[in-house]
Amino acid sequence: MRFAWPLYLAWKQLFPSQKRISFFSLLSVIGVALGVNVMIVVIAFMQGFQQKFRTDIINSQGHARAVPLNPSPVWPQISKELLERDDVLGVTPYLQGQLLLQNRSYHSIPFSMGLDPEDADQVIPLNEYLINGQLMLEGYDSQDLTPFPTMDDLEDEVVFITRQVANRLGVRPATIIRLKDANATEQIKEGKGEVRVRRLDPFVPSGQWTVTFLDEKSYRIEESTSGFKKVGLLGEPPLDLGLGFPVFETLPGGKPFEKGDQVRFQSFRSSILEVYSPSMIEKAKADELAPPHEVRVGGIFEVPWQGFHSEALIGTMRFMDEMRGTEGQCDGFYLKFSDRLAQKESLLSEYCKDLEGDLGSDWLVIPWFVENAWFFELLKFEEYLMILIMIPIGLVAAFAIAIALMTSVMRKVREIGLLVAMGGSQTAVGAIFCLQGLIIGSLGAVFGCGLALLFIRYRDELMSFIVTGIAGEGGQDEVAQFYDFYSLQVDYPWDSPESLSTFLAFALFAMVVSTVAGLLPAWRAARMNPAEALRSE
Amino acid sequence: MSETRSSIVLSTKKLSKSFVFGEQRIEVLRGVDLELTEASSLSIRGDSGCGKTTLLNLLARLETADGGEIKWENLSLDASTRASKREIGVRANFLGVVYQAYYLIPELNVLENVLIGASLAGGNPLRSKERARFLLSKMGVEAKEAQVPQKLSGGERQRVAIARALINQPKVVLADEPTGNLDERTAEEVMELLLESCTEEKSSLLLVTHNGTFAKATDRQAFLQDGSLRQL
Repeated sequence: MRFAWPLYLAWKQLFPSQKRISFFSLLSVIGVALGVNVMIVVIAFMQGFQQKFRTDIINSQGHARAVPLNPSPVWPQISKELLERDDVLGVTPYLQGQLLLQNRSYHSIPFSMGLDPEDADQVIPLNEYLINGQLMLEGYDSQDLTPFPTMDDLEDEVVFITRQVANRLGVRPATIIRLKDANATEQIKEGKGEVRVRRLDPFVPSGQWTVTFLDEKSYRIEESTSGFKKVGLLGEPPLDLGLGFPVFETLPGGKPFEKGDQVRFQSFRSSILEVYSPSMIEKAKADELAPPHEVRVGGIFEVPWQGFHSEALIGTMRFMDEMRGTEGQCDGFYLKFSDRLAQKESLLSEYCKDLEGDLGSDWLVIPWFVENAWFFELLKFEEYLMILIMIPIGLVAAFAIAIALMTSVMRKVREIGLLVAMGGSQTAVGAIFCLQGLIIGSLGAVFGCGLALLFIRYRDELMSFIVTGIAGEGGQDEVAQFYDFYSLQVDYPWDSPESLSTFLAFALFAMVVSTVAGLLPAWRAARMNPAEALRSE
Repeated sequence: MSETRSSIVLSTKKLSKSFVFGEQRIEVLRGVDLELTEASSLSIRGDSGCGKTTLLNLLARLETADGGEIKWENLSLDASTRASKREIGVRANFLGVVYQAYYLIPELNVLENVLIGASLAGGNPLRSKERARFLLSKMGVEAKEAQVPQKLSGGERQRVAIARALINQPKVVLADEPTGNLDERTAEEVMELLLESCTEEKSSLLLVTHNGTFAKATDRQAFLQDGSLRQL
């Protein structure tokens, strides 16, 4: 009880009886809350970015890379052995190199990688990247129905390229659009169903395709340039005529199709690239004929991690082997491990060392965080820089609190004298002002954390509101392209210890700084001569 | 000024205090001897600036004397040193103070203002509340317990201040011109209440006043002049 009254008086001075809150308390708490909120949100977002980069890096190159110091002829065997290990979920070999691509007079020298279409998706989610990179044709009288390409479309004569390469060379993969005419629009309106394109391989030529319904049960596919015709039955699997033919799929609607119903499509063949490799230059030096290798663009991919080469090409292992003038080689493996290992960097590091030992002295196994250490050091540096920049925000709030409390001490000189006369120790009277700082800091920390939680919860809506306000409706996509706030995973304190420690650290910081801000007024109050205080006017 | 030794609750011996203004030294108290017995009252009058408030401050150990001794019941205090932790611990229960300017805490309501005295002494919250309400009702301001001081009249404020001074049943109440800010009629009512309450609570009262009538109402009267206390 002896120590409770300074706290009670501190509380009452901030929240007087018959008044909900004093103006000074309100402003101070808001100031601290805003400071805490800003600090938490910025750091939470920074952690969100780090988390996103982690995921993106792991997705684009697996958890580790095994690299032979010398070409290993037995790599297929090693790959099998690696896959048999308990914690290894995926192994995919790769070949790397630099190639020169040409389309008419445009050139690009992308980072090129050969992968095995069979097992690459065990480690790298290329199908997702192909969806990210898809370019759609927009037209008033047409609708782009090109299905997303997949790793299954990767052949020795087909490559996937990044959007930057496609833009530089002016190329695109095979595309198919549905022409919107009165007949087709009417069918959809009547609810008769739709005709979609299930597959469009890179070998489909340019042409006009018509799907005509012969009756309720059958339809005919025609191509006007080649005169190709084929009849299919509704209710049976779509007609798959092999490479070079689109696979159309009829989706039934509420009403059956009628005889004469028609849907027309226009296909555009995929661009063909001429590829040159350093081995060709060697051949040309030796006066050997080295014609360029022709490949089709099978798809455009986009890797979300900015650290990945912006200009890149993915082909098959055989394609890269051929371009390098080698046979059956492998530059290494991308490895994917179980969650048990993936979640702890120390465990992963240890496992990689064990793996290295098992593979022999000719192999290096490099975990993802070692390979990208520079990047995370940079991010960490940015985070520390942010904290350093934001600390003055807290100090400004502390100065404001100190000044307000000091004014309060000056106003309450006689009350200070009275409290001492009534039996309070000068230290306890001084503590009233220090405790006011602590209360302001604590409330500010609680409200600041609450605000931060709200900000994190409604970050997409808030960002959308802010971006629309600054850049207008059309600005959303442009902003999302550079600042990926929308897909950012920002943890709540109960989700991760990192987030919890951020919340606790800044809440504690606010409380300590506010309490310290109350120390000077407290010291002044404690030093006051009570008799003089009582005499003061 | 000496009384029966057994019942003395407050006394001073050769208490002296001077103030220095530049090169000038003014001696306000010159070896003051004072004794106050249990449940008695003593009034001190004197000209303005003669040292009455200084004497009360010294007795409450709010400032240090140049020399002399103060005794709170059996506790001998060196008046020339700052109040020790022990004295501070004892002060809240031993002394009650009433000032001319009331000094109620504006952020607390009437009841809370009275209770803060009990909190300072570490009293039991429930019992203190009961006693605070009893004292407020005795002072005739029980209906105002939820009001803030700013909404009370001067007389009401001083009644609350008296209740606050008595909350811990102190041995001694030091009252420094408690009616100085009040009109004549209110001053009489307040003084009557103060004297009556101190008698009922068996607290000794040391009253500093300019008012001769009020001074005469106390058991003994003294006059402070030229730094010496003279019994009338």
